[in-house]
Amino acid sequence: MKRAVRMALVWGLVSLGVVTTAWAHHSFAAAFDMNKPVTVQGTIVQIRLENPHSWFFLDVKDPSGKVVRWAFEAGTPSGMVRNGFKPGIIKKGVEVTIKGFHAKDPTQNAGMLRELVMADGTVYGMFGSQQGPAAQ
Amino acid sequence: MKPRLVGTLVIAVFTLTIAWFAPTARMQTRAGTPEPQGVPVAPQPEAKAGPAPRLSDGHPDLSGVWWGGADVGAARGRGARGGGGRGGARGTPPPTFMSLYKPEVAAKAKTLGDKDDPTLRCVPTAFGTLNVSLWDVGAVGQIVATPKMVVMLTETYHGYRLIPTDGRVHRDDQPPVYRGDSVGRWDGDVFVVDTRNFTDNTWMSAEGRVSPHSDQLHIVERYRRVDANTLEIEATVEDPEVLTGPWTAPKQTLVLAPFDRILSLNCSGIETQALMDAAAKQKN
Repeated sequence: MKRAVRMALVWGLVSLGVVTTAWAHHSFAAAFDMNKPVTVQGTIVQIRLENPHSWFFLDVKDPSGKVVRWAFEAGTPSGMVRNGFKPGIIKKGVEVTIKGFHAKDPTQNAGMLRELVMADGTVYGMFGSQQGPAAQ
Repeated sequence: MKPRLVGTLVIAVFTLTIAWFAPTARMQTRAGTPEPQGVPVAPQPEAKAGPAPRLSDGHPDLSGVWWGGADVGAARGRGARGGGGRGGARGTPPPTFMSLYKPEVAAKAKTLGDKDDPTLRCVPTAFGTLNVSLWDVGAVGQIVATPKMVVMLTETYHGYRLIPTDGRVHRDDQPPVYRGDSVGRWDGDVFVVDTRNFTDNTWMSAEGRVSPHSDQLHIVERYRRVDANTLEIEATVEDPEVLTGPWTAPKQTLVLAPFDRILSLNCSGIETQALMDAAAKQKN
């Protein structure tokens, strides 16, 4: 039984390492504070599907009504496209809610994109939809 | 605590952890089913593979888009099926490129971090983050093979290698370059690629692996198309200025992707680099 426990522990740690590698792309852990979740609602002004990582820019009204530009870093463009995020699927000017983690530098209006929620409830993740035949 | 209870707790923690990190569990959509990218040209990896196709000169045709069965971020993960590599003692992990650093190089590497990663500035790696040179920083690459030339196209940073197949020597008019100068020859059904003449301002890898090298870097790769759907790659790496001895990269097994061309992608890295610089100034 002790051996079974040890094996469960070993496989748990090994599997965690594999999954974490897929999740934690290089700069994310260093650039963002995973203990500081952030949610903003605003209007998309630009989406750049490019390397090393894609970026979503949106204008957000702060409590005083002032418009502030936010930037969220997402996945690599090839991963996003092959996991279901079709270029042009989100248009400039649409209202979205982005949930993510704030940049380690608290003065920057920037974060790592964890979830993008459209007005109709459609949700995209850092690497796209993760569904369908393209999610191979 | 009884072993059975400990085991149950371990499995529960493991399951919860996977549920938290797994992209499929946390990144779902109610959007319509996306279209497959590109034109399907090959059967799925599960199908029985036929023999490796051959060029007009009889050598195996390495052409195709090659990946590990998925791209970055996919539910089924990414990366080739990599072996353990040679050189590790029984029960110990195989050496990495960095584990063979000379002491002074290892000391210098400790002064570097994520913010110094050249790939954040769109500079490619010298080898490959997943130990696949064809992929560079990404997880997909394409080979276009002819009897005279093999062209290796890397998707992530628009990189390419033109590899003559007739065993000629390295050219003397090529300045040092990020991805080196490559020449090839056939050893039976194995395509052997010899690459040198690198600049010393790249890393071997990326993704947080601090892996500088010198301009004496020399990589020999062996490509073998096992069957229609499978490509095996082995690589031996020398860099006498920074390593204590040659490094044998883990053998990688790639599969043919179900599309016939890679994407064309830009790289700017402006925001990414700025964020990394800013984060590096913060006290954690």
